[in-house]
Amino acid sequence: MKGSVIKYARDNIDTDVILPGPYLKIHDYNELAKHAMEGIDKDFHKKVKPGDFIVAGRNFGCGSSREHAPIALSYSGIKAVLAVSFARIFYRNAVDGAFLLPIEIDEETYKEISEGDQLEIETSKNEIKNITKNKTYKMKPFPELIGKIIAAGGLFNYKP
Amino acid sequence: MSKTLFEKIWDSHVVVDEGNGRSLLYVDRHLVHEVTSPQAFDGLRLNGRKVRRTDLTFATMDHNVPTSNRSLPILDQTSAMQVKALERNCKEFGITLFDIDSPDQGIVHVIGPELGITLPGTTIVCGDSHTSTHGAFGALAFGIGTSDVEHVLATQCIWMEKPKTFEIRVEGKRRNPHAVTAKDIMLSIIKKLGTAGGTGAMFEYRGEAIEDMTMEQRMTICNMSIEGGARAGLVAPDEKTFDYLRGRRYLPDNYEKLVDYWRENLKTDANATFDRSFTLQAGEIAPQVSWGTNPAMTVDVTERVPFPEEYAKGNLEEEKAAAKALQYMGLKAGTPVMEIRIDRVFIGSCTNSRLEDLIEASRVVKGKKVSEGVRAMVVPGSQHVKKQAEDLGLDRIFKDAGFEWRESGCSMCLGMNPDILAAGERCASTSNRNFEGRQGAGGRTHLVSPVMAAAAAIAGHFVDVRDMDLS
Repeated sequence: MKGSVIKYARDNIDTDVILPGPYLKIHDYNELAKHAMEGIDKDFHKKVKPGDFIVAGRNFGCGSSREHAPIALSYSGIKAVLAVSFARIFYRNAVDGAFLLPIEIDEETYKEISEGDQLEIETSKNEIKNITKNKTYKMKPFPELIGKIIAAGGLFNYKP
Repeated sequence: MSKTLFEKIWDSHVVVDEGNGRSLLYVDRHLVHEVTSPQAFDGLRLNGRKVRRTDLTFATMDHNVPTSNRSLPILDQTSAMQVKALERNCKEFGITLFDIDSPDQGIVHVIGPELGITLPGTTIVCGDSHTSTHGAFGALAFGIGTSDVEHVLATQCIWMEKPKTFEIRVEGKRRNPHAVTAKDIMLSIIKKLGTAGGTGAMFEYRGEAIEDMTMEQRMTICNMSIEGGARAGLVAPDEKTFDYLRGRRYLPDNYEKLVDYWRENLKTDANATFDRSFTLQAGEIAPQVSWGTNPAMTVDVTERVPFPEEYAKGNLEEEKAAAKALQYMGLKAGTPVMEIRIDRVFIGSCTNSRLEDLIEASRVVKGKKVSEGVRAMVVPGSQHVKKQAEDLGLDRIFKDAGFEWRESGCSMCLGMNPDILAAGERCASTSNRNFEGRQGAGGRTHLVSPVMAAAAAIAGHFVDVRDMDLS
């Protein structure tokens, strides 16, 4: 999985800024995508490209249980969010519908990755290669259940 | 082996244990609302599945319903469609629905306990993060996303990884329980632990101050567990819990027998251990006011808006976040909280819209007038709360003071119905989240208790309600 980075150097990016409340009424996922990150970045929809990654700080996705948040990011083209930590409902929602990979990274890695960096992620090795900076980082392995849901391609394909 | 209350409820609901805490749990109650369910029902239809336990599934509409005149149609077309979709889905799948005209309609977390759907020792899920509210009854209750909603509709089960146990002790007595409320205790806990303090854990609230609380106060506490990062919060049920529920509509026939069992079993064993523990002294807590853009950015009403470096205590990221928050909130560091003037007041939401909240707020308001230039509203949590409040004459007290008295719903908590803040408007709000844009794009939210919100409405700025006679 290869892509370039859109970085938000802040903690506590909540579901209300990822997909603001008024848009929860939208049923069409491609329409939802047009409003992704609108709460803090009105230009996100214009700059995001298919395959991009978001990099952010601690407690990404805190707040509401709206699955619309990972859906909006996913339909914008985001393949993974790399964050120091995730709020648990968002974390689970991201993988249930196979929308995107929520990848936990350490503080150092978060600080080192810059906007526009090209990354290659190999989840089988728990490895993130920063092609731009010619460096390799470790990602935190997925917890067992999350890893298995990801491997199955979503909750409804998951068989214990 | 000694167990915590959480472990007892968890263990009694495991259908399949895959090891390492990875378990399929049985769900006793599933609450459904209009916003997070349409895609789940679509999924059922697409795969030719039914709702497995229609008798354990209850629906209402609360998030996007207008709180103004209910005899008028919903003007917002997308909201109207979502409400219609829930009606259609409940009819097609055979689910009990408390619709917009039902005398039982209300915020899903207010009506669950009110109708006796919420019970001690049960597992409760809902596509809403504030499902943690029901933990006040000793239920393991947590929010889920739409895929899980579909999974629970189809199977009545949910896959979970076992969370850690986290004890929150609130010791001693509150100095002035009318002025220092459950909301102030909860904001103090979040202020100390941070918004991610409980990530991966379930809180269990214990100690004298929790035991002293009424059921409605415990609901306020458990409601905001999610703001501290925990998906659920629990309080061990006691006689107050059993009395609160007694006589409510959806109780099982063997309720008294269940009470005997709950009384004996639903508590943390004396020598059980928690993964983490945190203690707070109730006597040291003052009324709280949030100044920033997450619930941990909160200070005592007697304090000043902090300087970013003072708030961050050396953490550069936190300092940046605080500076950004001040900018968004249009606040100058160093301003005394009591000098912050407000434009709007919202008393409502699943955190603080129950009868007791309205009674407490009405004491502040009685015989006074809302400050000039302030627009204030009270939104009861349910039609039952509204009716009970009206029977007590609370509607008159609020209306005479210049408050708007509304129909029940989520209202201005989350900016997806007509009740929103305009950009730049500043609101004293009894809701649970002060995120950027939460109450409307550019809106500025200060989280407070109902009495603090009521007092701010009258004064036009924040005041220390400990200085008022609230008895």
